[in-house]
Amino acid sequence: MDTHQVESPDMSMTTRRRLIASLLAGGAVVAAAPLFAGHASAADNAAPPHRDAADNAALNACLDRESRMVATYRKAIAGLTENDLIAMTLILDHHIAYAHALKGYLAVEAITPSSAPLASPTGSLAGIARQLATLEDQTATIHTNTIGTIKGLDAATLLASIVTVEARHAAALELIAGASPIAAHATAY
Amino acid sequence: MKQTSTSSPISRRTMLRSSGALVATSAVLAACSSAKPSVARIGESPTTVKLEDLAVTDVVLLRTAMSMETMAAAMLTDSAVTGLASKDAAPVIAAFAADHISHLEDLRVLIAARNGSAYSETNTKLMQAYGQPALDLVANGKVEADVLALMHAVETLIAATYQYFVSLTVEPALRADLVRLGGRSSRRSAVSAQLINGGTGGFAPANDKDGVPLVATLPGAFGSLSAVQVALGPVNDTGTRATVLMDTPSLNSLIY
Repeated sequence: MDTHQVESPDMSMTTRRRLIASLLAGGAVVAAAPLFAGHASAADNAAPPHRDAADNAALNACLDRESRMVATYRKAIAGLTENDLIAMTLILDHHIAYAHALKGYLAVEAITPSSAPLASPTGSLAGIARQLATLEDQTATIHTNTIGTIKGLDAATLLASIVTVEARHAAALELIAGASPIAAHATAY
Repeated sequence: MKQTSTSSPISRRTMLRSSGALVATSAVLAACSSAKPSVARIGESPTTVKLEDLAVTDVVLLRTAMSMETMAAAMLTDSAVTGLASKDAAPVIAAFAADHISHLEDLRVLIAARNGSAYSETNTKLMQAYGQPALDLVANGKVEADVLALMHAVETLIAATYQYFVSLTVEPALRADLVRLGGRSSRRSAVSAQLINGGTGGFAPANDKDGVPLVATLPGAFGSLSAVQVALGPVNDTGTRATVLMDTPSLNSLIY
């Protein structure tokens, strides 16, 4: 026995569309289900954002500060020699690295930072070190305060890794300036 | 005989549509279910108890910081250290230990503000892992230089701990508080390094004439989170000394 099913053109199109739409909707639900499950658990922990565009202004201020520290150290090392020159050039290189890291993080949002030095340290090594130690403390304080205001975790982590070493700069420079070990470890912030 | 029909109760399209919906529903239900192994086994098998699901909150980090500060103070005031310290080093070590104790009060205030409970013990796991072994090596070696080496390692470890905790902290203001505490340890670490290898010549990483790395005041541009290494104790038969690795706290050593 042959059986033929006859359908009108209108009914056929509607049915095919429904079929395709059903399959697409089903597929979308399947694909999205694990995604929703992941978001539900993440929302419970209230994870902080990795980046936040609202942080850019504060981070540009940090970039500007580091750029000015670079200019300051370039002036400071002018009259130094041997180990003193090597040591100060090392710290200069650190600040160049910080400026590059912040500029890289901000990418197209980075401003053109100032290249004006914050001071013109001159005189004896002890005198230069004392002025630079003060500037290091101030820079670490600026960055630490910024960490307390920005929301993005990646930027906070980057700044924390900078402050950790700038605190070392400050203490080491204070020792070179003549402070005692107990006085040099006392923090200004 | 030919039979022509214009409607059928189960057409091919209806069947496909129903099957598609059934497959989709099944997949959704399968995704929601938990995966359980169904491996056939013979004999009795002990049932596993699921560990408690503990969250790393800001209070957990603060409590762990208290345990680390307590451990640092305990190590710096241990008789193995104070008994070997030179006349010049002793007051510095005492001042650093007092700083760690004063940080406990700062942390206690931060914990209380978040309705948490303060923690007044040392970090038991890390004390067992490297704290006590380091003290034992110092006691056995009786080398005066080990006192400063241990102090430098401890301060570097505490600074790295606070730096690491920033990446786990949810509240921005608390991140700044942790960095301030870490900055103080960084300063102490730099002072310790200068006491071991002083002057501007000690700033940059370098090796001695035998190729052994010297302690550098500024070992890198960015704060390192890798394990702090310190050689302590007596020289063994092969002419070397034991190296203690000190890691920052991780999930199994946090104070929940």
